[in-house]
Amino acid sequence: MTLAFLAQQTIERIPFDSPTIDWHAFAPEAILLAWTCLVVVVDMVGLERARRFMPGLTGVGFLLATIPVLTLWNDGATRSLFEGAYVVDRYALALKGLFLISGYVVVLLSTQYMADGDYYDSEYYILLASSVLGMTVMASARDLITIFVALELLSIPAYLLAAWRKRDLKSNEAGLKYMLMGIFASAIMLYGMSLLYGVAGDTRLSVIAEKLTSEGTKPLLTLAALFTIIGFAFKVSAVPFHTWAPDTYEGAPTPLTAFLAVASKAAGFVAMVTIITTAFPGQADVVEPFMWVLSALTMSIGNLIAMRQTNIVRMLAYSGVAQAGYIMAPLAVYSQTGQNGVSAASAIVNYLIIYSAMNLGAFAVVIAAARKTRSGEISSFGGMLNYAPGLTTAMTVFLFSLAGIPPMGGWLAKWQVFSVLLQSESTWGTTLALVAAVNTVLAAFYYLNVAKQMWFMPAPDGDTSRVRVPPSLVAALAITVIATLLSGVTGLVPDITDFGSIALGR
Amino acid sequence: MYLNQFLILAAALFCIGVYGVLARRNGVLVLMSIELILNSVNINLVALSAMNGDVTGQVFALFVIAVAAAEVGVGLAIVLLIYRNRRSIDIAEANLLKG
Amino acid sequence: MSDFLRQYLLVILFALLAVGVVGAFIGLASLLRPNRPSKGKLENYESGVDPVGSGWSQSQIRYYIFALLFVMFDVEAVFIFPWATRLEEYGYFGLLEMVIFIAILTLGLGYAWRKGVLRWA
Repeated sequence: MTLAFLAQQTIERIPFDSPTIDWHAFAPEAILLAWTCLVVVVDMVGLERARRFMPGLTGVGFLLATIPVLTLWNDGATRSLFEGAYVVDRYALALKGLFLISGYVVVLLSTQYMADGDYYDSEYYILLASSVLGMTVMASARDLITIFVALELLSIPAYLLAAWRKRDLKSNEAGLKYMLMGIFASAIMLYGMSLLYGVAGDTRLSVIAEKLTSEGTKPLLTLAALFTIIGFAFKVSAVPFHTWAPDTYEGAPTPLTAFLAVASKAAGFVAMVTIITTAFPGQADVVEPFMWVLSALTMSIGNLIAMRQTNIVRMLAYSGVAQAGYIMAPLAVYSQTGQNGVSAASAIVNYLIIYSAMNLGAFAVVIAAARKTRSGEISSFGGMLNYAPGLTTAMTVFLFSLAGIPPMGGWLAKWQVFSVLLQSESTWGTTLALVAAVNTVLAAFYYLNVAKQMWFMPAPDGDTSRVRVPPSLVAALAITVIATLLSGVTGLVPDITDFGSIALGR
Repeated sequence: MYLNQFLILAAALFCIGVYGVLARRNGVLVLMSIELILNSVNINLVALSAMNGDVTGQVFALFVIAVAAAEVGVGLAIVLLIYRNRRSIDIAEANLLKG
Repeated sequence: MSDFLRQYLLVILFALLAVGVVGAFIGLASLLRPNRPSKGKLENYESGVDPVGSGWSQSQIRYYIFALLFVMFDVEAVFIFPWATRLEEYGYFGLLEMVIFIAILTLGLGYAWRKGVLRWA
C-alpha cells in the first residue's frame, strides 16, 4: 500500500460539507475584515512610503463596507445566521451604517491631525478599522459569546488608541484609566453572563429570554442581569461608572476622543439595548427601576458637572455623559411601549444616529479651531465669528442641536425619547420625562454659553487671522452638518419601529 | 454533581478580584486581580456547562481565555509605557487629569 | 458520605500524615540540638559579604515584547485543540476555516517581524 494510495483514500473519505452561510447578510463584516487585512499588507510592504495612503485607504474600506449595508436595507428581509446567534435586521443595519459612516468621519478628522504630529499613523488606522469591525459585529450579535467577542474587538484597539501620544503623560494616563476601567467592567459583565448561561443553558439571547420568562424573578437572575448591564454602563459612561470618561477624553488624541464619545458609546448602547430588550423581557420589574435610577443620575450629574467646565473637550465629555442619560431613558419603560408609535429601541437608535452626527461635528470644529488657538479653553473661542464665520455657524448648529432646539436633529431625538416616556402612561415614565425636561433646560445654558463666546465676545488675544481648515475636516463638517439639519428639518430617520415589538414578542 | 462548591469558589475568587482592583495601587497587581475575576468566570462557565450537559459554556470559557490574554497583553503594554515615562506604576500617581 | 468527598478524604489523610511526620522530626530535632541564637545568624546570606540594598530589585524587561507575543500566540492554540479533536467531523470545510484563522495570525506575526519588533537588540 503506497503512501499516495493512503492519501487518496483519506481525501475521498473526508467530506467537504460547508454549512449554509448567507454571504450577503455577512458581507459588510467580511468586506471590512478583508480590507483591514489588505491595509495591514500594504503597510507591511510599503512601510514609510505607505503612510500617506493610509487614511484614504481606510476610508475607502468603510465606504465599501457600507454598500452591502444599503443593499441589505433595500432588501428589507430579516436574516438569521448561525442558528439565531447573528441576526441582520433593520435595527442592525441602521447601526452598521451609523458605525461605518462615523468611522469614515473619524478618519477624515484624523487625517490632518495624525499627519501633523509625530505618531505611528499606519497602525492608528488599522486599529480604528478593527474597532469599527467589532462594532458592526456587535450590531448583529444576538448571542452572549458573540456580544462578548465583539465588545472586546471594539474595546481593545480603543485602549491602545487612547494612549496613542506615546510620550505625553496625559495620553498615557488616559489610556491607563480607560483600559483598567474597561477590562474591569467587561470582567464584571462576564460574571453576569456566566450566571445567565447557567440559568438558561444556552448563550443565545432568544433562548435565554424564554428561560428567564418562565423562571420569573429570582435573586440570582437579578444579580446576573444587573452585572451584565453594569458592564455596558461603564462603556456608555453612565453615572456612577463615568469617572474614566472625562479624563480619557481630555488626554486622548482629539479625533480619537470623538470616536470614543460617539462610536464606542453607541456600540455600548447597542449591546445594552439588544440584551435588555431581547433577553430580559421577563425581568422588567428589576431592570426598569435600575435603568430609571441610572438614567436620572446620569443626565443630572453629567449636566451639573458640565456647567462648571472651562475646557471645551471636558465640557463635551460631560455633555456626552448627560446625553447618555437621555439615550438610556426609554429603557426605563421598555416593557410598556411598542404597541403604537415609537418603541424604546427605535427611539434609542434614532437618538444615537443624531447624537453621532452632532457630536462628531462639534469635535470637528474643536479640532479645526485648535489648529489656530492651540487651546482647549472655552474662552479661546471668543470672537470666532469675525475670523471663522463658517466654523462658527457650523458649531452653532451643533450646539443648538445638542441643546435640543428645533429644527435641529437633536430636537427630534429628544422628542422621540419624551414620547416613549409619556406613552408608557406610568408614573415612572412621567417622572423621568420631568427629570429629563429640567435637565434639557439646564443643559441649554452651557451649550449656549459656548455659542455666546463665539458670536459676541472679543478674541482673547486679539489675534483674528483666519483659520485654515484642511479639506478633510471640511468634508467631515459637511457630512455632519447635513445629517444634523436634514434629520431635524425633514424628520428623516431610519424606520426600525418593528425591532422593539419583535423583540418583546408582540 | 457538586455544583455549589464550584460556584462558591468562583464567587470567592470574584470577590477577591474585585477587592484587589479597588484596593491595589500597583498597575500590574490590578491587572492580576482582573485576571482572578476572569478565572472565576471560567470556573463558573465550566461548572455550569457540566451541570447543563452542554458544551457551549466550555466554548465560552475558551473565548474568555483567549481574549483575556489579548487584554492583558495590551494592559501590560500600557502599564510599561507609563513606567517608561514616569518610572512608577502606582496608579494613584496618575492624577494629571482631574475633574 | 458520597464517593466524591471520600476521594478528598484520602487527600486530607495524606496531608495530615505529611504534616505529622515533618512536625515530629522537627520537634524531635529541637529537643536534641543545641540552641545558641545570635544576630549574625539572622542576616541575609549573600555570597559571604554583607547584603547591599533592599531585597527588591528590578530585572531587565527589555524583551517583554517577546513574552507578550509568545503569550498571545500560545493562547490562540486554545482554538486549535477543539478543532483537532473533531478533525474528520468538520472535513475540508473545517480545514479551510483553520487555514484562514492561522493565516490571519501569521499576518500578525509577519507584521510584527516587518516592523522590526522581533529584532534581538
